[in-house]
Amino acid sequence: MNCETARRLMETNDPALAEHVLSCPSCMIGTHARYYEAPPGLERKIRQSLRQERGAPPAWRWLAIAASLLLGVSVTWNVAQFRSRANPEQVLAGDVLSAHVRSLAGTHLLDVPSSDQHTVKPWFNGKLDFSPGVKDLEGFPLLGGRLEYFEGHPAAALIYGRHNHTINLFTWPSATPTGAGTQTRNGYHLQHWSSNGMTFWAVSDLNETELGQFVSLYRRK
Amino acid sequence: MDAARKRALFEQTVMPHLNAAYNLARWLTRNGDDAEDLVQDAYLRAFRSFDTFQGQDGRAWLLAVVRNTCFTWLRKKGERPTAEFDEQLHGAADQSPNAESVLINQAALGTLQDCVEALPLEFREAIVLRELEELSYKEISDIARVPVGTVMSRLARGRKRLQQCLAGALR
Repeated sequence: MNCETARRLMETNDPALAEHVLSCPSCMIGTHARYYEAPPGLERKIRQSLRQERGAPPAWRWLAIAASLLLGVSVTWNVAQFRSRANPEQVLAGDVLSAHVRSLAGTHLLDVPSSDQHTVKPWFNGKLDFSPGVKDLEGFPLLGGRLEYFEGHPAAALIYGRHNHTINLFTWPSATPTGAGTQTRNGYHLQHWSSNGMTFWAVSDLNETELGQFVSLYRRK
Repeated sequence: MDAARKRALFEQTVMPHLNAAYNLARWLTRNGDDAEDLVQDAYLRAFRSFDTFQGQDGRAWLLAVVRNTCFTWLRKKGERPTAEFDEQLHGAADQSPNAESVLINQAALGTLQDCVEALPLEFREAIVLRELEELSYKEISDIARVPVGTVMSRLARGRKRLQQCLAGALR
């Protein structure tokens, strides 16, 4: 008996089949073992997951993922760096502005009222461990000096006038060198820079242009 | 191969063999849900490695991927190849079945199912690929990554075990 015969016999359910089946299990399997067909919906699922494949080999995929992760980490790190740099500066700007406003609010604007740089500069001797640059600036008369305290250091405050406006110029030895910058807070303008190991902050309600003139005049001298 | 051409070729050579893929996975795992997941996984793998396809028979190529996906999964699950062990244990107790005492009926067909499922994994694989997919010895040897001689021996031993199983159950 061959398989074809067996197949026909299977259809008629003939008991004579038994002998052949046991001598030829291949026929039995081929004709009667279940052939599982894919369940409905499987093809759709497969097509869906294949559509999500961009056709790129996995190596590129992983590289892309790694690259975007790296980018994310780097952005986060840079933002953190920027923040850690920016935050102390913002804190300091707040302190500078507070000192300026305080100096105008009370009676304590000047410790040494003098328009003479040769009076003001020596006044700081023995009060500071540095000698601030007191300069005569054309159009910005020197009004005097005062002691301040920033970043855990004593600082010199030099007070200049411009029409009815007051400019506080704070200076102290830099803890770390910082860049220059301009900002406006609560209507006050602030400019800061570093030079020769000293930090400078100028603050006033004077308009930004004139404050800029003051700063460049001071820095030139 | 550019992406569009790859997709078209995949569609043409691999997609039509979903039933064969599912049938093999179903027989190897003996479970419908697992088979469905594994076939889906296998298709994804097949698509990703389609660049290695060199114009051979798409069905045999796909079945090799399905087979490897299933074997990897079964191994992770802790299922070990049992063919050699079973052969040593049961090979000697071989008796010719008594054909006259056997009646073929629905119960017997259920038994056939059980007996195929009871085969050691490697035997089951060879039997399903040969008897249900009607692949050649060479194709099976490529898929199972064993020499043709091993395929033939697994088929012979698998059939023998089936005979024993059927005879034992139907007697």
